Amino acid sequence: MKVTAQPSADTLTLLLDGELDASSAIVLDTELAKPDILNYRKVLVDCAKLSYISSAGLGVFISHLQRFQDANVKLVFFNMQEKVFNVFEILGLDALMTIVPSAAEAEAA
Amino acid sequence: MLLLSALSHSGAGPWLGTWPEWTTQLAQGVFVLGVFLYYRYQRSPLHGQAFIRLLRRLLTGPGLLALACMGLHLLERLMKDQPVFDSNGLFFTSIYTLNLGLFVVFLARTNYAWRALVLFRSSPRLQREWTVFEVLLGATLLFRLVGVNPPNYVGIPLVVLLGLYGIYLSGHQKWVAYLSQREKWRAVLLQSGLLFSVLVFVQYFRVTQVDPQLIAPQPQHAFLLLTAFFSAFYALMGLLVTFFNLPIADVIEQRRSEILRLQRLTQIIQRGQTTAEVYHILLESAVQTVKADAAWLDLDPGHSGVTAAAATQYFNLEPEQADALRARLQGHDLPEGEFITNDLHARIGFEGTTQHYRSLLQLPLRGLHFNYGMLYLLKVEPNTFDREDLSILQTFTSQAVLSIENLELVRTSLENQRTQEELKIASQVQDSLIPKNLPTDNWFDISSHSLAAKEVGGDFYDFLHLPGRRLAVIIGDVSGKGVTAAFHMAQMKGIFHSLMQENPLAKNERDKFPVPSRFMAQANAALTHCLEKSSFITSSLYIIDYEQGGFVFARAGHCHTLYYHALREEVFYFESQGLGLGIIRNESYEKHIKNQFYDYSPGDVMVIYTDGIVEARGGDGTAEYGEDRLKLRLEESYYQEADEIKDFILKDLNAFTHGHPIHDDQTLLVIKFKSAQPPPLA
Repeated sequence: MKVTAQPSADTLTLLLDGELDASSAIVLDTELAKPDILNYRKVLVDCAKLSYISSAGLGVFISHLQRFQDANVKLVFFNMQEKVFNVFEILGLDALMTIVPSAAEAEAA
Repeated sequence: MLLLSALSHSGAGPWLGTWPEWTTQLAQGVFVLGVFLYYRYQRSPLHGQAFIRLLRRLLTGPGLLALACMGLHLLERLMKDQPVFDSNGLFFTSIYTLNLGLFVVFLARTNYAWRALVLFRSSPRLQREWTVFEVLLGATLLFRLVGVNPPNYVGIPLVVLLGLYGIYLSGHQKWVAYLSQREKWRAVLLQSGLLFSVLVFVQYFRVTQVDPQLIAPQPQHAFLLLTAFFSAFYALMGLLVTFFNLPIADVIEQRRSEILRLQRLTQIIQRGQTTAEVYHILLESAVQTVKADAAWLDLDPGHSGVTAAAATQYFNLEPEQADALRARLQGHDLPEGEFITNDLHARIGFEGTTQHYRSLLQLPLRGLHFNYGMLYLLKVEPNTFDREDLSILQTFTSQAVLSIENLELVRTSLENQRTQEELKIASQVQDSLIPKNLPTDNWFDISSHSLAAKEVGGDFYDFLHLPGRRLAVIIGDVSGKGVTAAFHMAQMKGIFHSLMQENPLAKNERDKFPVPSRFMAQANAALTHCLEKSSFITSSLYIIDYEQGGFVFARAGHCHTLYYHALREEVFYFESQGLGLGIIRNESYEKHIKNQFYDYSPGDVMVIYTDGIVEARGGDGTAEYGEDRLKLRLEESYYQEADEIKDFILKDLNAFTHGHPIHDDQTLLVIKFKSAQPPPLA
């Protein structure tokens, strides 16, 4: 699992590459727990190369969800593979998080 | 005795007549052969590695014979002028013969003592070479016996060749290496004594040989010459080898003591002593080995397994002295850690100071992942440590670190064992939380299966009979695995049973128990305070009313329910919305959960499961079992009993995951609704 952060003016794009499971969740958590992440207006998560997400992986996003909402930072997922989207959907997260098909829509969101 | 008489008779005793010369020869030959063969088949005089004892016995035994020989010779000289003995050579010849006998015994003993030394830890080849030597010597004896006297130009080179062979055999002085320094000195003395004995004999025979009084025939010349030569030469070689070994004896002894210390360190591991003892022995051995004047050992309390109070050990050094040195060494350590300072006065950080100790050797205790500490050795004189010392000490420190790591391993394995026991108990407790007696009624048929990926898991299911012919069925999955998940699973079971209590204030019968969506909202509120932030629970609650022939359920983020509709002969997944528990921890959760009502008909089958089933890995390790495959299996087996459907699915699942470890807890419930008529209400 590789997490690459690409900051721009008011947007931080996180590129996830690989399987997000209990061991790699720590890497992502460290990234999301950084205090200055709340200075961005939007955090975009590029899931194009995210091949699998476990409940521990979902847990990382869930644990930061409230914090992002409180700081008025928008969390947007895009380019999600169907298999991964299914996992979000079953848990009901699609109603709670912004998941869009493409980068363009993510920018616009 | 035979020899003596035979010789006496041969010339000196006219009263016996003249015996032919060959009788003497034969008697001599037989005597020599007899003595040599006797000693040949004696037990080896060498016991274990008691070389000094062997030499001492040789000197006090046969060596003293030389003294006897000398005594007899003196006696003979004294008697020479006496008229009684002057007339004939009888007395002289007797003494001569006696001495010859003593010499033969001396040579035989010495030869076979040397054999034991030559063959000490020898190869089979050397043993064969020795046998050849013996046979050749025997042959020289035989030549003389049968009267074959080869001309000098053949005989002398032959004897010289045999002599050279003896010299070659004398080269085998392996035993000298096993002597300690003191023993070497004693060996030198004893061998000198032996050499002297040989010389006494040889000198005697050289003198008497030319004595006109000697009437007796020549002894077995070549044989005696050769054995005497070999005996003397081996003693000489041994003497020289031992003598030249003396200067290096202390080096060899030092190596031996290093090996002994290393052995001691190794034994400590096996005895399972404490870490403190290992460090103590390391310091002691290091000091003794390099003969250091003072030393100290700094241990890292974080890693070394000792308390902070015991983290420094001193040898012949005050803590203040060590502190002073430490302060100056600080910040000037070389990266690799081990380092010799030959003169502390010249080292960076010590400029202008006067140190009592001039040489310093520092060496880290290097472990696999970190250093356990640093060993410092000091000597007063400058330039006293060398690379050699460093490499020996490195062996010591690595041995010590090995012991420490072994002790650590033993400790952790014991701890692991205890943890395993605890886990076993946890597993038993959790097992008791899973319902063993499934509800039975003639309206439905239930079968269940659950398997945890580890000793304990986060899956759960439960049943509860409600009044009014209703049955509550709950299934759930706590995110994560293992002990944490198991705790939350137990919590969830508690929440289920406490929320599913009859509400006495409810106005109508149906409201006495919470509907599934209400239950989920309440459970979510309860979990807010006891679930860690990154954990969540997915769950589905079904309340089956078999009086009405329908059920209501809510899905809180849990896997979709698989359903076989008997009338439509169709298998499908219930599509419903619902958020997992613990994701939103406020009142707004209620908006995210809904009830779904459904009327069932006899023959319908409901399959409830956790994601451990559909996400089970198989094939190349990335393929998942999947909802589609599960659906296909139900299409093939819906007509069977609940138990058979469950077994059919599990069999297929096992075939799919064959060879892969299960990585998530698996739970599978199959409920089949039946057509039996309800018994009339009482």
